[in-house]
Amino acid sequence: MEMGLQLHTLRNSGVILALLIGLVSCHDSIDGPQIPAGDLTDIPYNPVPYIVDVPADFPALEQPFDNPMTVDGILLGRKLFYDPLLSIDSSISCSSCHQPSLSFSDGLALSQGVNGITRRGSLNLINVGFHYSGLFWDGRAKTLEELALIPIEDPIEMGESWDSVELKLRTHNGYPADFRKAFGVENVSMVDRYLAAKAIAQFLRTLVSGQNSRYDRYLRGEILLEENEINGYLMFFNIDPSLPDAQCGHCHNAPLLATNDYFNNGLQESPDLFSFPDPGLGAITGIAGHNGFFKPPTLRNLVFTAPYMHDGSLKTLEEVVDHYASGGKNSPNKSSFMFNLVLSESQKSDILAFLHTLTDSTTLTNPAYQSPF
Amino acid sequence: MLIIPKFMKHFNLLFFSLLILGLAACKDDPAATEGTVTIHFKAVYDEEPLQMFNTHPFENGESLEFTHLSMIISDMELLRQGSAELLDEVEIVNLTFDNITSAEAGYTLTISGVPTGTYDGIRFGIGVPIDVNAQKPADFPSSNPLSNTAYYWTPWSSYIFMKTEGRLDTLGNGPLDLGFALHTGSDALYRILEANIPLIIQDGLETNLDIVIDYKKVLQGVDIKANPQNHSPDDISTITTIVNNLSIAFSLVL
Repeated sequence: MEMGLQLHTLRNSGVILALLIGLVSCHDSIDGPQIPAGDLTDIPYNPVPYIVDVPADFPALEQPFDNPMTVDGILLGRKLFYDPLLSIDSSISCSSCHQPSLSFSDGLALSQGVNGITRRGSLNLINVGFHYSGLFWDGRAKTLEELALIPIEDPIEMGESWDSVELKLRTHNGYPADFRKAFGVENVSMVDRYLAAKAIAQFLRTLVSGQNSRYDRYLRGEILLEENEINGYLMFFNIDPSLPDAQCGHCHNAPLLATNDYFNNGLQESPDLFSFPDPGLGAITGIAGHNGFFKPPTLRNLVFTAPYMHDGSLKTLEEVVDHYASGGKNSPNKSSFMFNLVLSESQKSDILAFLHTLTDSTTLTNPAYQSPF
Repeated sequence: MLIIPKFMKHFNLLFFSLLILGLAACKDDPAATEGTVTIHFKAVYDEEPLQMFNTHPFENGESLEFTHLSMIISDMELLRQGSAELLDEVEIVNLTFDNITSAEAGYTLTISGVPTGTYDGIRFGIGVPIDVNAQKPADFPSSNPLSNTAYYWTPWSSYIFMKTEGRLDTLGNGPLDLGFALHTGSDALYRILEANIPLIIQDGLETNLDIVIDYKKVLQGVDIKANPQNHSPDDISTITTIVNNLSIAFSLVL
């Protein structure tokens, strides 16, 4: 194994060297200074900090101390996010499963990878930067930087190796300069997976929505909601004791319309803690009580993110409301919020009306979120 | 030696049993001037280790199982001659264990750097005090337990102080047919528990302390069938019963 790896590295180095000889020869005159192979220091590095416009009442948008957001870091991250170069056959990019027009989901029950169908649906990435208790449906990535590393080497999703991606990035005619501008790397050899992941994480942190939906404008007192929307709002958060409690707010709390916790929402039948078809969080923590638990996604822009749930089993919002109203399927650790809610059809309709107020279509067309290609 | 609800004097003072088994000393370091306090929170039901997802007899022939047990502990302090030594500002104590071994182990909180000496007791809040409860999760960095939105209930503008969730067999015939989620919260239901007990912190030594919560006592007098949830701010009788039970439900073992 070690021999193979060394040979591979040597071969890569040879390719890089051959390319760089050409590169250097273009820049260097006979009497000029000797420029080390792959040197990038002639490209200016002037990082400009980027401040995200965080909506009022949102949590702070925290950034790792070693990955502060910069204008060039975000631009690089966006480029990588949309570049199919990151997949083994250059057929798909991150954006294939996270399309801006679908609030960064893909409209499929289970996402399509380079080698078939993945086992779960694509998550809406809006406000993903505010989630500090694990990412993905099962919480397996602690940070966005960690998250960005995973799909590339997933054999079904992008099927590529980071070794190969690093080679493609280092030998690309544009990326080395982008990495120089984003992170100040002095040599192409410093371009690596960790910087790529940092750049993607920076871009993901810019995907913010929390000011433009009718719900947000209603909370700020700028508009009124319709009576049915108000009824739905009151039941969603159980504000009016004279109306049924729709139990939504426990897992989809304001302002993110999500929470830091994981829940078993009655989607899977299981007679015991060990028979869930998809154990979700439990497979990550190894705790049987977590089997069948999944992360509640944000409900912002959910009208664009059908079909719903980690397995895409609910095709419409109507089916979603019916599922929760019914109490779902039984299992030992099903959330105690899941039981027959006894909602009338009118009340269900009101909840649906409220869910539509969470729509912020400006995020779908925000130029800063679109493909640079 | 008692735990006293400190919130209002007109509430009954309730006693709890205290068993002193002795201090556990691990090692000796004459150069040290500070010790360590290790606190184990343990859930029991009718004095037996409590296991999640297992059925326990309740009242009126009903039985129940627990699916989630947790609470916010705040301002945990050691008391000495009128002064207080802060041990921990805030902690979410999650007692949701899925097997008996972890239930026995409990939730462990270790505080090092505790000044040595003899203390008169320990005090902590269940929930958060009024000034903290005026804030919300977005006001705290993600490293602070109070940033957890799952412990904040927006309609009440309050943190959720204590979560007791599970399912009830209302007919006593097997099926757990009713989910319950009893969440305490709001300024009026913040409780401070205090135990006047001798605690000796020695140089370089670890002092172990068990805080045991008996959930049968937590739910004493609660009609779960009639009030499986408590989301109405107009009716806090059920969760008031729960917080008033805390002083008999909590016990300390040294």
